[in-house]
Amino acid sequence: MAKIIGLPKLSPTMDEGTIVKWVKKEGDAIDVDDLLAEVETDKATMEFRSFDKGVLLKILAEEGSALLPDAPVMIIGQKGDDISALIANAGAKPAAKAEAAPAQASAKSKANVAPESESESESESKSESESESESESESESDSAPAAKTAPKSAPAVGAAAQTRSDGRPLASPYVRKVARERGVELANMQGTGPHGRIIKRDLDGLAAPRGKKRSAASKETKVQKLSSMRRTIARRLTESKQTVPHFYLTIDIDADPIWHAREQINRALEVEGEKISVNDLIIKACALSLLKMPEVNASFAGDAIEYHGRVDISVAVAIPDGLVTPVVRDADEKDVREISREVRSLAGRAKEKKLKPEEMSNGTFSISNLGMFDIENFSAVINPPEGAILAVGTVREEPVVKNGLVVPGRRMRMTMSCDHRVVDGATGAKWLQLLRRYLEEPVTMFI
Amino acid sequence: MREINYRTAVREAMVEEMMRDERVCLMGEEVGHYQGAYKVTEGMLEKFGERRVVDTPIAEFGFAGVGIGAAMVGLRPIVEFMTWNFSAVAFDQILNNAAKLYQMSGGQYRVPVVFRGPNGAARQVAAQHSHSMDPFYVNIPGLHVCAPSTPRDAKGLLKTAIRDDNPVIFLEGETLYAVKGEVPDEGVEELIPFGQARIAQEGTDVTLVAWGRPYHTAMQAAESLAKEGISCEVIDPRTLRPLDHRTVVESVKKTNRCVIVHEHWEHGGTGAQLVDLVQREAFDYLDAPVLRVHNQDVSMPYAVNLENTVLPTVERVVDAVKKTLYVAS
Repeated sequence: MAKIIGLPKLSPTMDEGTIVKWVKKEGDAIDVDDLLAEVETDKATMEFRSFDKGVLLKILAEEGSALLPDAPVMIIGQKGDDISALIANAGAKPAAKAEAAPAQASAKSKANVAPESESESESESKSESESESESESESESDSAPAAKTAPKSAPAVGAAAQTRSDGRPLASPYVRKVARERGVELANMQGTGPHGRIIKRDLDGLAAPRGKKRSAASKETKVQKLSSMRRTIARRLTESKQTVPHFYLTIDIDADPIWHAREQINRALEVEGEKISVNDLIIKACALSLLKMPEVNASFAGDAIEYHGRVDISVAVAIPDGLVTPVVRDADEKDVREISREVRSLAGRAKEKKLKPEEMSNGTFSISNLGMFDIENFSAVINPPEGAILAVGTVREEPVVKNGLVVPGRRMRMTMSCDHRVVDGATGAKWLQLLRRYLEEPVTMFI
Repeated sequence: MREINYRTAVREAMVEEMMRDERVCLMGEEVGHYQGAYKVTEGMLEKFGERRVVDTPIAEFGFAGVGIGAAMVGLRPIVEFMTWNFSAVAFDQILNNAAKLYQMSGGQYRVPVVFRGPNGAARQVAAQHSHSMDPFYVNIPGLHVCAPSTPRDAKGLLKTAIRDDNPVIFLEGETLYAVKGEVPDEGVEELIPFGQARIAQEGTDVTLVAWGRPYHTAMQAAESLAKEGISCEVIDPRTLRPLDHRTVVESVKKTNRCVIVHEHWEHGGTGAQLVDLVQREAFDYLDAPVLRVHNQDVSMPYAVNLENTVLPTVERVVDAVKKTLYVAS
């Protein structure tokens, strides 16, 4: 018996999922636990695996459609099953907040539309270049395309722009020609055609010849719907800043020792081709400080404070559409190399949106580092239910006073944001003293 | 200008040419005493007599061959197929004799014959009688292929065909015979040259190309799209071989988009040929893939609802145009 399969809840907090990619297609045999599709949730891109065995008879949700949990996404059954009643049941379109490109969708839903002759081969044959040169000369007169207006009908919403794997932007041949003539780069443009193809009507967004003013269309406000991740960020950080009483403590440490420690460690690791960062050492130093002062390794829990026995450090990682905070578990027990490897792996997978939700939850303290952007100092928003977050600035080379002499040195600022319900000023200050000691005398980390 | 129907326009062309040149004669099934299966040849037997208007047996291979032979030795026969479906029986005569003898005889024999009759789907005549035969004939060097969609083009092109020294495939349409349109007054002679497309309607957003019956579908689609602010340039190539693709290419350079509507199947034929020529010669001007609207890739069903699904419809043309414009349908 064929049946409709709904979108499963792939994480406890998933209130919407977007089908990023169908891995199986209609007609494919499906076994239990086969990967069916990749679904973007509020946390990550998750694997949607089958609980059933049979044949994928019909896909009901296009790639790119944002769906509520349990929305019908496909029909599984046996070959030859009559699924017309099921399709009618599921509704002509899925219960979607459809963001799929309608041009594409309609082409697929209507069998009688012209064939999808979109196999636009880029290979240019010899005969083309011949006939091109012959036709080019007569063509210049009609190339004043920007002045022409596209028809007034509502534009189809393009799917998210995709750069192809070879880095070449998707653009129609006509747009490429105009871009060549105007000496314009297409690489950073977003098109409104299928798969983000840059098409004629997007030409208004093309930079005008150098020195000229930008067109009015390019100054228009672009409205970008929130992705599920941005929605989560917006909700959680607003909640934090509105309900958690933040206060801030800033220290400025001598960064020479940690700098040299890192150099020494990396020299030692060179033969093995490994490297650690200053941030890895900061994670380790924080972990040891938290172990020593559980008052800071704590969460506010309504009518109680939870002092955590474990030291799990969340590390903020910027990814193209936002940020995530993967967690280094038991950072106090791990050596710097282990921490370094783990952070690299977590950050790498975060950028590919491949982190599992459990890898991004239940930290006890956070570190956010904007040193690579040369930020001297900043204060971060606490990541609830954690009690504190440390914002790390860049290592500055500057004159410092040592033994009464002005000498070249290195300094680094860091600001801790504390939840005042959990951590008081003096507690936070004491903790920062501990941290300063580890960082200014790194060898004490290895006692 | 007066208005007459397509059927009358075809008859006028034949009558005028038979009066002008006594070598022109007509043969085919039911062209004489029955006055033509579709009344195209009505009154011609009475006017020209049995020597010049000849009823043939139901034997297409035979009378196509007689027509070719007569053309080789000096006559200018018009051979009517009751429908182009039946020309399949005479295919070898057309492919291997009509189209080849000028070359095979080293230029000693010209074959000035016109094969004509209705092409494409009529209404509910099912799989074997609904063929659009044009893809088969446009593929053959040595033939001219005409597919007029209006009475004026039918008359002007048929007169040119009869005067041409090469074999001509002249594709009419059972559902076109009643179509009315302006044709030059009697006594005003108009010869329409082969290989010259007609821009039926100028436009700026998309180039629609269609011939024969689907031309009218395309015009209706253009009218409907105009109401939505989409301006179509409609081009009727009129002759499929030679094919005036330059007019189409120049139009696409202006509109950046192209949709071709035709009644034959998808694989091969003039539609596919035009796509090839447009992508080669207007590559840098295309803003979207060239699309085609055509018969579904199945034998024609008998049931009228299914037949309507197989043939190109106004809705399908409108959808395709919107797809090239990247607007929602």
